[in-house]
Order: sequence, then C-alpha cells, then structure tokens
Amino acid sequence: MSWSPETVARAERIMQRYPERRSAVMPLLYLSMLEDGYLTDDGMREVAEWTGLTPVQVKSVASFYGMFKLRYTGKYLVSVCTSISCMLRGADDVMAAVEDEAGVPHGETDDDGVIAVEHVECIGACGGAPAVQVNYELIEGITPEQARDLVRWLREEQPDKIVADDLQERFGGTRSFDWAIRETEGAVGPFPAFGPYGTVAEEDRS
Amino acid sequence: MADLVKITVDGKEIEVEAGTPVIDAAIDNGTYIPHFCHHSRLEPVGLCRMCLVELETPRGMVLTPSCTLPASEGQVIHTKTPVVDKAQEGVLEFLLINHPLDCPVCDKGGECPLQDQTLGYGPGESRFVEEKRHFEKPVPVSDLVLLDRERCILCSRCVRFAEEVAGDPLIEITARGNQAHIETFPDEPFSSYFSGNTVQICPVGALTATAYRFRARPWDLRKVESTCPHCTAGEAIEIDASQNQVLRFNGIDADATNQGWLSDKCRFGFEFIGSAERLTVPLVRDGDGFRESTWAEALDLVAERLGAVIESRGGEAVAGFGGARGTNEDAYAFSKFMRAVVGSNHIDARMDDAPAAELLAAVQPRATIGDLDTASTILLWGPDLKEEAGTLYLRVRQAVQKRGAKLVVVHPRRTGLDDRATWKFTYRPGTGFGTLEAFASGAGDFAEARKALDEGPVVAVVGLTGMTEDPTLATAVAAFAAGLPDAKILPVARRSNTFGALDMGCAPGLLPGRVSFGDADAVAAFEAAFGAVPDHAGLDTSGMLEGLANGDLAAAVLVGADPVRDVPDGALARRALEAADFVVALDLFLTDSSSLADVVLPAEGFAEKEGTFTNLEGRVSKVNRIVAGPGQTQPDWSILEEIARRMGRPMGFDSAETVAEEIATVAPAYADLRWRDVERKKPEGVLLDGGWYTPKAPAGPDVDADMVLHLARTLYDDGVAMRQSLSLHHLAPGGVAYLHPGDAERLGVTEGDQVVVVGSAGEATLPVRFDPSLPAGVVYVPFNQAGVPSLGAGAAVEVRSA
Amino acid sequence: MTTTTYPQVLTRRMTEHPADSHTLARYEATGGYQQARAAMGMTREQLVETVKESGLIGRGGAGFSAGMKWSFLAPPRPSYLVVNGDESEPGTFKDRQLLERDPHQMIEGIIIASVANEVHEAFIYIRGEYPKPARRVQHAIDEAYAAGYLGDGIFGSDYQLDVTVHLGGGAYICGEETALINSLEGRRGEPRLKPPYFPAAKGLYMLPTIVNNVETVSNLPHILEMGADAYKALGHDKDTGTFLFSVSGHVKRPGNYELPHGITWRELIFDIAGGMLDGRELKAWIPGGASAPWFVPEEHLDMPITKDDCGQAGSMLGSGAVIVMDDSTCMVKAAERVVRFFAHESCGQCTPCREGTTWMQQILARIEEGHGRAVDLDLLLDVSDNISPGLAWPPKMTTICPLGPSAVSPVTSLAKYFREEVEAHVTEGRCPLG
Ligand SMILES: Cc1cc2nc3c(=O)[nH]c(=O)nc-3n(C[C@H](O)[C@H](O)[C@H](O)COP(=O)(O)O)c2cc1C
Ligand code: SF4
Ligand code: FES
Repeated sequence: MSWSPETVARAERIMQRYPERRSAVMPLLYLSMLEDGYLTDDGMREVAEWTGLTPVQVKSVASFYGMFKLRYTGKYLVSVCTSISCMLRGADDVMAAVEDEAGVPHGETDDDGVIAVEHVECIGACGGAPAVQVNYELIEGITPEQARDLVRWLREEQPDKIVADDLQERFGGTRSFDWAIRETEGAVGPFPAFGPYGTVAEEDRS
Repeated sequence: MADLVKITVDGKEIEVEAGTPVIDAAIDNGTYIPHFCHHSRLEPVGLCRMCLVELETPRGMVLTPSCTLPASEGQVIHTKTPVVDKAQEGVLEFLLINHPLDCPVCDKGGECPLQDQTLGYGPGESRFVEEKRHFEKPVPVSDLVLLDRERCILCSRCVRFAEEVAGDPLIEITARGNQAHIETFPDEPFSSYFSGNTVQICPVGALTATAYRFRARPWDLRKVESTCPHCTAGEAIEIDASQNQVLRFNGIDADATNQGWLSDKCRFGFEFIGSAERLTVPLVRDGDGFRESTWAEALDLVAERLGAVIESRGGEAVAGFGGARGTNEDAYAFSKFMRAVVGSNHIDARMDDAPAAELLAAVQPRATIGDLDTASTILLWGPDLKEEAGTLYLRVRQAVQKRGAKLVVVHPRRTGLDDRATWKFTYRPGTGFGTLEAFASGAGDFAEARKALDEGPVVAVVGLTGMTEDPTLATAVAAFAAGLPDAKILPVARRSNTFGALDMGCAPGLLPGRVSFGDADAVAAFEAAFGAVPDHAGLDTSGMLEGLANGDLAAAVLVGADPVRDVPDGALARRALEAADFVVALDLFLTDSSSLADVVLPAEGFAEKEGTFTNLEGRVSKVNRIVAGPGQTQPDWSILEEIARRMGRPMGFDSAETVAEEIATVAPAYADLRWRDVERKKPEGVLLDGGWYTPKAPAGPDVDADMVLHLARTLYDDGVAMRQSLSLHHLAPGGVAYLHPGDAERLGVTEGDQVVVVGSAGEATLPVRFDPSLPAGVVYVPFNQAGVPSLGAGAAVEVRSA
Repeated sequence: MTTTTYPQVLTRRMTEHPADSHTLARYEATGGYQQARAAMGMTREQLVETVKESGLIGRGGAGFSAGMKWSFLAPPRPSYLVVNGDESEPGTFKDRQLLERDPHQMIEGIIIASVANEVHEAFIYIRGEYPKPARRVQHAIDEAYAAGYLGDGIFGSDYQLDVTVHLGGGAYICGEETALINSLEGRRGEPRLKPPYFPAAKGLYMLPTIVNNVETVSNLPHILEMGADAYKALGHDKDTGTFLFSVSGHVKRPGNYELPHGITWRELIFDIAGGMLDGRELKAWIPGGASAPWFVPEEHLDMPITKDDCGQAGSMLGSGAVIVMDDSTCMVKAAERVVRFFAHESCGQCTPCREGTTWMQQILARIEEGHGRAVDLDLLLDVSDNISPGLAWPPKMTTICPLGPSAVSPVTSLAKYFREEVEAHVTEGRCPLG
C-alpha cells in the first residue's frame, strides 16, 4: 500500500506547509487518489499514518467532500452542472445527452471503466452556462450535441491529459469571460490538476 | 470555585457558577429544557437544536441553543415562548421524518428521550409523505455494540465520547448533510474498552448492546443503585433486572467517582451473576470429586475439621484467603472469624499482587479521585490504568486533555495514557529502585518532570506496575511523593473491594478500621470486642501459601479467593491447597482453587446481597440486592456465622446490617458510620478519613539479569468473573510474549514464532508479538490468560526460541 | 469584457492586457507591487485606519467592514490570514476571474493585509473545482517568491511571509468562514458555533485569524494607491468602491461586470447585460446569489442597486450574483433547483437544515412533477418557518449558520410572487408552462 518515492517526497513538502499535520489531510487525499485512481481504504489508512489520525477520522473528512471519490470513477469524470444558472440555460438537456451517450446515469461509471457521469452543483461558470467539467477541466457554453461529441471523443481518443482550453475549443461555446491565452497544463485523472499536489500531467510538473 | 452569577429563567432567578451551560443551570433548578445532543459530560456542540430558548438582548429576543450558552450575570431566558415551542416542535418533526417507527421492537422504547419528547413537545401526526431514508439494518460497530443508522439522529454523542472522553476516535460521522451517518472503518471496529458508554448515552435506540438487545422491555425492569463489583474506583451503577435476572448495568453520574462512565468490563461483566455454572448447593469432597450435601452436613463437617486442626496445631495453623470480592460486611465477618473464632492473624485479601496493606488502607496525605481535577501535575507510577482502573484512566485523561494538567507516566512499557503524557519514562522491571533514585535526583532526562513535581498540587497515583515488581517499590514511590512540597497519594490495587477488605482487617497486620498491631490501645479495644486477638501480625498470601505447602500451616479458609489463578505463582498455590489437611471455600463457582477444597459452600454474589464497598479513596458506598441468589446460596457473613456457632463461638450476627452495626461500633475509621448515612450520600457515598501511615522509603536491590519479565493485568483476562461473562471472555488477549524487535532478533525469532519463557516458578511456551515500547531485555506477558501456566513473580527470566 | 463607461479598477488590467494580465512582468509594468512595498513602511494602525476610512465592505457576501474586522484581531500572535476563494454559490463566478486573470493583484493585497495584521502565514483556500485558477495563483506565488516578494525578508526587509494554496474538496459550506477554517485544519467543513462571531478572536488552530474574500483583498492595493477618499468616491454613498456583479441566466450578455453601486436593476439587466434573450420577457431575478429572496420587475426594476435598498426590499446583494429568469421559466423548478443546492450542500450538523432542506426539496420536486397537494405550499412555508422563524428578513435562525435559512428564500419568494403558478401545478397536475 505504500506510495511511490515521488509521492512521498511530495507529501513531505506538503506537510511542511502547515503548522499542524492534520491540516495536510485534504492535499494528501488528493495524492492518494493520484496513486490509486480513487480513494481506497488502504489509501485512507496511509493518509491516517501521515496525519496522526485514525482511518475512520480520515474517512469522516474525505466523505464530507464531493471530490474525494471513495469508489472508482472512471478515467474521465464528466461533471455536468445542473444548478440554477446552468439549468436556465438548458443544463438538463446536456445532462440527459451525456447520460445517454455514456450509457450510465448520474453517479455511475461505464462498464469499460472509462467514463463516469455525475451532475453537480454550481461550478462557477454561470456566465458561460451550461457548463461541464471533465476531470475538473472546464468547458463552457456547451450544447447537448457537443456534449455527445465530447463523450464519444473521450471514449475513442482516451487522451492521457485533459486540458481545459483544448476541450473548450473543441466542444465549447461562449465563456463567462475571455481566457486570452491558451494553457497546456492538464489533468491526469478524476481530481484537480494542481502542481503542488502532483496531480497535473507529468510534463506540466515544475 | 468560579464566580456565581444570577440568571433569570422563566421569571425565576437562580444563582449558578458563571459559565455553566444555561441548559444545565435551568434543569438543575427545576426547569426542564428538552435536548438530544447536549450531555453535561461532553463539550457542547449545539447540533440538534432542540434546546432552543429565547434570550433577551438589547436588540430584542434572540433564539439560541441553551446548551452552548454559558451563564453570565443578568441573563434573562425564556424557555416556553410561542417561538420556542414552535421551533422545538419543528425540530422534533424533523427528527421524526426519517426515524423508523419501530419503537415496539426497539430496546430503547420506553426509556427513549425522542419518544418522551415527542409526547411532550411533538406534533400530533406526521406531515411527511415522502419516503424515509434507508440504511442497511443493524451493523456491528464492535463485538459489544450494534448500530442501527436509521434510528440515529446524528447527535454525535458517541463520536464525541469516543474522541473526547475515551481517547479512541474509532467511530465517526461520515458523508454529509442528509446522507450523514455513523460509521467505523473496515476492519477497525470501535473496540474501545469504553464502547458501552455510547449505548448508555445514545438518546435513541441507534446503539444497542449485544448483551442486552431484545432481552427486556424497559417498563418490565426493576432498578437499584449499587457500586461496581469489578473496580476499586467505586463506580456508582444502576442495576436493572427483570424476572430475577440481572440484565444490565448502567453508570450513574457520581461526580466524585465515575461521572457516569463505566469500562466495558464493568458494564457487561454482569453476566457471571446469572451464570448456569453458579454453585447452588454445598459440596463435600468424595474421592476425586464432590457430592452434594445439605447445609447442615457441610457446616458440621467444616466446624469439626477446623476445630480439629485448631485443637491439634493451634489457630495459627489456619490460613485465610480473600475478602476482596465481597462486601465490607462479609470481609468484617471473615476477619473476625479468623481472629476471634479461629485465633489466627494469617489473613490476606491481597493475592500477592498488591502493595503493602498499610499503604493501601491508611496512606496519608491521601488524594481523592476529584483531586485529579485540580492537580497541576499527575504522577502515575503504577499499573496501566486503562487496563486496571478504567474510570480512573478516563479521569486522568480528562485532567490532561481538558485542563492541561501535566502528566508524568513511569512504567515498563507503553500505557494507555502515553499519548497524553507530558513525560513518559520506561524502565526494566526490577530496576525500579534505581529508576526512582535517578528520578528523585532529577538527573538527566528526568529534570523537567522532576521540577514539575515541586510545583503543586500534585497527585501521585501509585501502585504496582506489574507482578514481578518488588511490592515495596510502590511504598518507595509513595514515600518520594509524600516528601514533595504539595502532593497527595492515590494508591491503586485490583479487585473490587480490596480496599474495603483491608479496612476490615483482611490483612496480616491490620485489624478492622485500619488498626495497626503497633497501636496497643486500639488492639486492646479489639480484645474486648473479639475476645482474644493474637498479638502479632500474621503471614501474607505468599507466606501462607508457602506455610501450607511446607506443612507449617494445616488448613485454609477461602472466601471468594482463587489463589491458583490470581497469585503470580499459581503452581505454589496449587501445591499449598493440595498439601493442606483441610480446605473450605466459600465461592460462587468451582474455580481452580475451590475445586481443590474439601468443602465448597455456595455463596450469594453481587446484586444478591446488601452491604457496603470501600473504594481506593476510602469512600464507602452501598451495594444493593435486586435478585435472589440461586439455589441454596447464603451470604458469606451468614455462612461464617453458622460455622462459628457450630464451633461454639458465635459472632453475634443475624443480618448484614448487624455486621455493619458492629463495624460502626468497633472499627475506628468507620466509627458511627451507618448504612443510612451512606444511603443519604448517594450516589457518591461517604469519604472516610483515618490515614496514619506516612510511607518511608525502603531501598531495594535492583535485579540484574539479561532478560526480565513484565507480568501485568489486562482489562479482560481469565479471572472467574470474566470467564463467566460470555460477552467479554473472548476479548482477552490470550497467551502472548511481547518482545522488543531487537530482542526478538537476538533470539532469532519473529512475530508469530513460539518462545519458551522460563520464569521463577514455571515456564510457558508462547507466541511472540513485537512491542517496540518495551525496553531492551524485557519480555511482557499478560497475566492470567487462558491456558497459560503461571510463571512466578521473579523478575529474572530466561527466554529462548521454542 | 464589459462595454461600459464606468471606471474599472479590479478588472482594468485584464481588460487592457488580456494576453498577460496574470504575469508578474505585466503586473509590475502596470505599477504592481508598489503598494505592498509602501505598506512595509507603514504601521498596523495606519493600514487599518486607511482601510476603515475607505469604507471597504467584505465582498464575500456577509457585507461587513473589512477595516473593522481587522481591528478586532486579538492578540496573542501568531495570527493567520485566510483568503476565501471557495466561491461556490450558484450564480457567482467573479472570484474565478480575479484568481485567473490577475492573481498578483490578490497577492499584493495579501501582503498588505498580512503586514497590517502582523501575519506571517497566509492561506488561500480555493475551491477544488477551480484547478485552473489555482494553477495560475500558484504560478504567481512562485513568481512572487522568486522576486523576493514572498518568503523570508520580503522587499529586502526582515519581514517573513509564506503563502500556501489549499484546494477545497467540493463543499459549498466551506465558504462559510468557520467551516473553511475547520476544513483548513483537516476537519469536516462544519461551521463552528458562534460566539465567537469572528475568527479574529479564535480562528485557525484557535488563534486569531482574518478571513477575507478574494475580491476584498484584491481591492487593497487600489485603496492604498488612490487613497481612502478617492476609493470612496468611486462608489455610491455607503457602498464605496466598485463591485463585481456576476450576471447569469436568460440575458443576452452574461458575465462579470465591475460597477459602482447606485445604478438601477433596469440598467444592469437591460443596458449592461444586454437585456432578455430574443422574444422573452423578464419574469424575476435573484439579486444577490442563491441565498437571496427574489425580485420581480413590477416592484424592483427601477430600484437603485445599493446594499440598503436591497435590504429594505427584503433581499440582499450578497456576493453580487444576479440570476435572471425570463417568462419561460417554471418558478417551481427554479425554486426546487435552488433548494436542492442547499439540501445538497448542508453540512448536516443542524437538525432543521439537514432534514428540513431535503424535505423542502422533495416537496418542490413533487409539485413540479405534478403530484403536489393543495396543502403543500403552506407546508413548505411552515417547514421554512421551522428553519427560519417568522420568515423575517434578515432571517432568524434555528441553525448554527445561515445556510439552512438560505434555503427558505426561494420558498418565500414563490409564496409572495408566484402562488398562482404553484397552485396551477397542483390543480393541473403538471407545469402550466408545458
Ligand atoms: C453558507 C455561506 C457560504 C459562504 N460562502 C462564501 C464564499 O464562497 N466565498 C466568500 O468569500 N465568502 C463566503 N461566505 C462569507 C464568509 O463566511 C465570510 O464572511 C467572508 O469570507 C469574509 O470575507 P469578507 O469580509 O472579505 O467578505 C459564506 C458565508 C456563508 C454563511
Ligand atoms: S445551518 Fe446547515 S450548513 Fe449551517 S451549520 Fe447547520 S447544518 Fe451545517
Ligand atoms: S441540546 Fe442544545 S443543540 Fe442539542
């Protein structure tokens, strides 16, 4: 159940950022998801060791938050916002299209383990509604048809890295505000792509 | 004492300590405020929102929970306004929408706060037409406790208890919002020594005890208050029984002792009472076995055989063991029986596993349990309290956790309090005197801890760290503590009423009421009451066992004593009882010891008789009867009286209360203490004074050996009460040899391998487990585990790969 | 970006330099970090006083004076600064723009706030669903460390300041400052009991802590640069400075708009946000995030947008999220969606919030599906009353935090303005809008 040396080194750096080790729980949970693809019992035990908590205390924290997945949620987690602003702009149709194309309802992962679907509450893209995230990389102004294309593309291409700006260009419409430049950093699994947690693609880690 | 403030609750002015939660202040003063999450022994969290009240503020009335509102001068609170009523009705409705209506089959039905408050404050009928939340039916959270998540109202009392009080955060709320529920981690159950408390404080039937589940309906229960029969802390308990069966113990919130808590051993260790293996008729030896007899025959036989021994060898050829498992009244009768009827001072309630009797009975300055609440530093040099004195463990833990008291732990290995200790020192058993010397001088690592002890108030909790420890080490530690500028001593020992028995004179050097043989006037007073009293101290347990084994002594009286299982050198005890000319045992069960007797007399046990216990502070509390003893059982005092009569020396008792009456008349520390005085002070009981013993420092040699043995008790073991409590018995750790990994490597063994431990009095082959908390060169073996031969009390041992 | 003529402060750099407003080079080229440098030479009193003077109100939604809050900071030190970037309330997306497009502006604000409050350790709590903003902020922090603006001895002084980005895990309630602190401590994001009312007394690790919103902190360099009076003059009366409105829903030009207070809702919705989608009429709008009671054109369209006006009209500006609904909107569905949000995001501590919000959502869903009963609207109101007694504004609470009572706003709004539409659902057994 042990972590790779790289993850251990990262965990040590993270621990140093906090005055008390318990504070590192959430970052370490992300590390653990990076290691295993989702939060396993062993992963939570490991985090418990690092932070001086009991495993059930770690689970209590992890299960409070929607993004710590205690079950396998595919290679690509497609999250469709269906909160009020997106709903007003047709999010329910987008959700239906995604579920139909992926062949699984909210909260489930397809049989191949490639795509998981969920509807989520507001993801802060209301100006570009309706919005969808793939592994938390954002696409705004998406139509039901584009959403189907997105799911098909994910299944066929199975890219190693998910980059918001790429997805936006392929499948998106109007955004909440301009991005101005194109970024290339991206996600490698169903967790937020963030350098200090090591959860960005290899080539993006600094 | 904090400042007193005046607050007004529903127009009534009351005076309370500043900072008291308003809910407690109101309830204590007769205004009930309904609540679920609030528990006065847990930190307030204000979750359930049932206790809302209106508080007058400069900006008008504010609705606020009263559990999180600290009382402050001039507060004006209203508990029964329309706004409050509406809010409380609302909370109840919210709690009920997802609560299953299975009250008829729920253990809690009939004593359920949710049920009661629904009657008192709730809406008439449900307006909830949606589907209720569903969870899989009851899941075990430990061997002893089951959880029904549908009934749970998420008050978090269990979670808070586990973390705040027990220090075992193994049960938690998981998920969020409407999906939130209580959970344990896979393969990591809530196996806390204190798990049963959560069943008691759960305000609904979500947590239930396997030992009690479905056994009774609350309205069928009869209840009586009593004192825990397992620990020396004197926990106040309520015994529930139905149809002459004891079904449950609950803790009572006695501030001085257990504050409502019990260890699981105390809570669930009631099953022995109703065990099918209880003795119900007298037994007399018949070849290798026993035959049943009448009381008359058995008593005549005992009187005749004891009389013959006394006639031929003198009273001092008779040894008396026990007294610690019964009431003070039983112990007094035993003590008087040995002195006045038999004419022997060979009597001991300690099973060769406790510090000096004077230290336990009469040390001064003696601390109370409550002194732990104000101590600035606590010195713990004695048993692992988590294993041997559960509620005391909780009290020390609380002193550190809540109040920031400093804690110094000195012990041969890890203890349950290490995670809270400010300083922890580990040493090899057998090197205690040297360690104490270094500690006292403040050398090296000891410097800071030593300094803390000079700043009072200090409470020193003193006892034996293990059974291979020289018992006089405890005296030396107590002497050190007594020499500190501002310290009191709290002596600890095992077995429910050890302190009471010693107070009653079940000790070779003490007469009832803590009278020493050195006190000529007091001894003379006993001559008057008892007739003749031998004028010198007798033998202690190991002395008596040796005497029996080598023929110096000829007969033994066992009163609730099982030396074969309880003393460190069980083999010696067996030899002693086998060698004796005559042995009579008063017991609840045929134990390893009583089965070696010539006559076994069936005794009434706990919950079947009335009397008093005395705890480790010297606090006397009542023990009460709620069921009849099985078959022909009799209380110890009465059996002893019957024998005495047949020996022509009646003691003059015709009820337990007449025994108590005599204690109040002749035993100095208990002078004028009547049952009614004790009852009146319920649930705390009466704290006695009467300490006269200032420990003096005996210096002892340290043991020098390659390997030494740490032999110590665990909460669950193979003692008779545990063996007869089916819910608990399987929780004992069993035979294990714990070794430091370094030693294991040296011996060429690893975890799971077998080693032979050769002790001073026996050897055992045991599986190895690693314990990095041990100093090098120490093997730790839990004492009294099923199937493990006794090793003896010598510290030096040999360990080799099997 | 916006097409207005109102002065831009917070969004100016990103408008004028869309390609690189997030870089240190651009930030410094446009005057960046001068104010932080200047702050190094100022006393705590001077800084707190300036911010108080500016009238800066926290932009996180609670609407409390930033300077006042700072002045509550209790000794003893250490104290902490936590920047609240958990932005999760439906309709709100302005902090995301500030984080992504001008992270140095916020970092400079962090330095100023830290110096003012003797903070040496600051955390930026960014919601987990914002990886891109978090990356941009982290890159900016790295640049600032490299330039000597963060870390040991910043700007050549002996002042040490460390800043750490902490990603949330997907829980709206962590926006509530005490829940955020619990979350940062590695706990469940459950709001703490009040009092203490401000973490300034007891916050992170039970030490004095300042929690400020991203936008609040981003304002600080500008306040120092232009001075308290000039900053005040940007705004309207008591509502000083500029304010970021996030406009979403059925308008032609949704987006973030930096505006002064005092313009009317008509100007905001019809002029600035481009008016309703083709062929549609304005039906209602939520003026200040999902927690706010709704406004309707008949009563509120020409009302000036100020904190006080909104308050008097029984709602609030909150964090500035304006959600616009046209006449195609089923109000029951809209209400259900908002209540569903709160039910989903309830931390679950308080009985009324945990049970009540879910129950309300279930009733609304049932009505929407055509299975409503005549008693349901009154039942909804009574359940609401049990969460927020008296259904008053500002709401009274039977709960620890305002999340539970927030779920009441859609229901009271329905009852106030759209009772007939609800009744039509019940009598027709379906949505009357088809
Ligand atoms: C339920 C709830 C959610 C909140 N969410 C946020 C949020 O996402 N971002 C934020 O800055 N403040 C949020 N707040 C307000 C914070 O509690 C706090 O007042 C604010 O961060 C203080 O910063 P300010 O004074 O700069 O506004 C929320 C409050 C509540 C009650
Ligand atoms: S009102 Fe809701 S979100 Fe707020 S503390 Fe209570 S349960 Fe949690
Ligand atoms: S008892 Fe006060 S909120 Fe539960």
